[in-house]
Amino acid sequence: MKNESTFIDVPAESSSAMKGKAPLIGVAKDHTTTGSGGYNRGLSIFDFLLRLAAIVAASVAAGTMFTSDETLPFFTQFLQFEAGYDDLPTFQFFVIAMSMVAGYIVLSLPISVVTIVRPLAAAPRLLLLVLDTAIMGLTMAAASSAAAISYVAHNGNQNTNWLPICQQFGDFCQKTSGAVVSSFVAVVFFMILVVLSGVALKRH
Amino acid sequence: MAKESTTIDVGEPSTVTKSSSHVVVDEKKKGFVAAAAGGGYKRGLAIFDFLLRLAAIGITIGASSVMFTAEETLPFFTQFLQFQAGYDDFPTFQFFVISIAIVASYLVLSLPFSIVSIVRPLAVAPRLILLISDTVILTLTSAAAAAAAAIVYLAHNGNANTNWLPICQQFGDFCQATSTAVVAASISVVFFILLIVISAVALKRH
Repeated sequence: MKNESTFIDVPAESSSAMKGKAPLIGVAKDHTTTGSGGYNRGLSIFDFLLRLAAIVAASVAAGTMFTSDETLPFFTQFLQFEAGYDDLPTFQFFVIAMSMVAGYIVLSLPISVVTIVRPLAAAPRLLLLVLDTAIMGLTMAAASSAAAISYVAHNGNQNTNWLPICQQFGDFCQKTSGAVVSSFVAVVFFMILVVLSGVALKRH
Repeated sequence: MAKESTTIDVGEPSTVTKSSSHVVVDEKKKGFVAAAAGGGYKRGLAIFDFLLRLAAIGITIGASSVMFTAEETLPFFTQFLQFQAGYDDFPTFQFFVISIAIVASYLVLSLPFSIVSIVRPLAVAPRLILLISDTVILTLTSAAAAAAAAIVYLAHNGNANTNWLPICQQFGDFCQATSTAVVAASISVVFFILLIVISAVALKRH
């Protein structure tokens, strides 16, 4: 086989004009906001705002239920004339669970800020998704068990002879129903948050 | 400035040309291997997802049917309480039966998507669909389970403040059946949380 040789001229030094100057190789790209990074950052900002709204929903639910005491002005022979959230264990569970949920969201705000600053990082988003799913289950459990008890309080149950207490305790029932609705709103927020994290994880 | 020249010998790539195609094929093979390696653990996750769905189908069908057949008729006659109890005496239990049945049929319908993500471990769309619909169904399941649990607790313990009597003292079998159904539904909630986490981990790209 013939060996062919080629001469390549390699200048040993760059021209004198380049001396002392750093040649411009390329513009340093801000990789955090190119392409899908910008889209992910938008999702993270929406996630942060949703969390703020969910804090309001969860704490309103807990607070309304906590302050739903009512004392009737008159005296009846068979029914107690005072009603509060601590008369029903389900409502106690509701207050405690919604307070825990509100505290969790406050603690998750820094992680959400991290996903805004570093939109392409997968670990914080995955952590948020897992925790949000578990907390959503807890929120839904509190909301629906309180809703079941509210339903019985409003309508009673003929088969078991459970009387509807709302006919006497109107304000108490109104406040507890409001608290239940607020907690369902928080559940909807959590659902959107979980789906957001899933979509953002996909786009890396 | 004196220019210096360097001579570079470029030998003719004679023997290399024949094997260059092999190199290309090897790199292609390497590409497939890399895809299979990344797809390998995702395929494992997809198989675990499929098995979890099968288990969840069994449990939800069990929960719904146990609640549906939870009837009891007392042999004696009492003056104040009804002597018959069934799931349709409680709207919450009616909601439980219907929604857990919906959850069971959703799981059956989601099995094809799970199979697709086993066959194509790197496909994103089926996993994302499963993640979103699993989240919605998780909400429904935990709603049904928690509401039924609240009523079962009330039936067991009653409430002194509202004068609601605990009916379980008369209807023992009915209470047992409904409690079992609630426990089964709670286990399916845990399964759904696991399914969502698996989908999220598998969606994460490398």
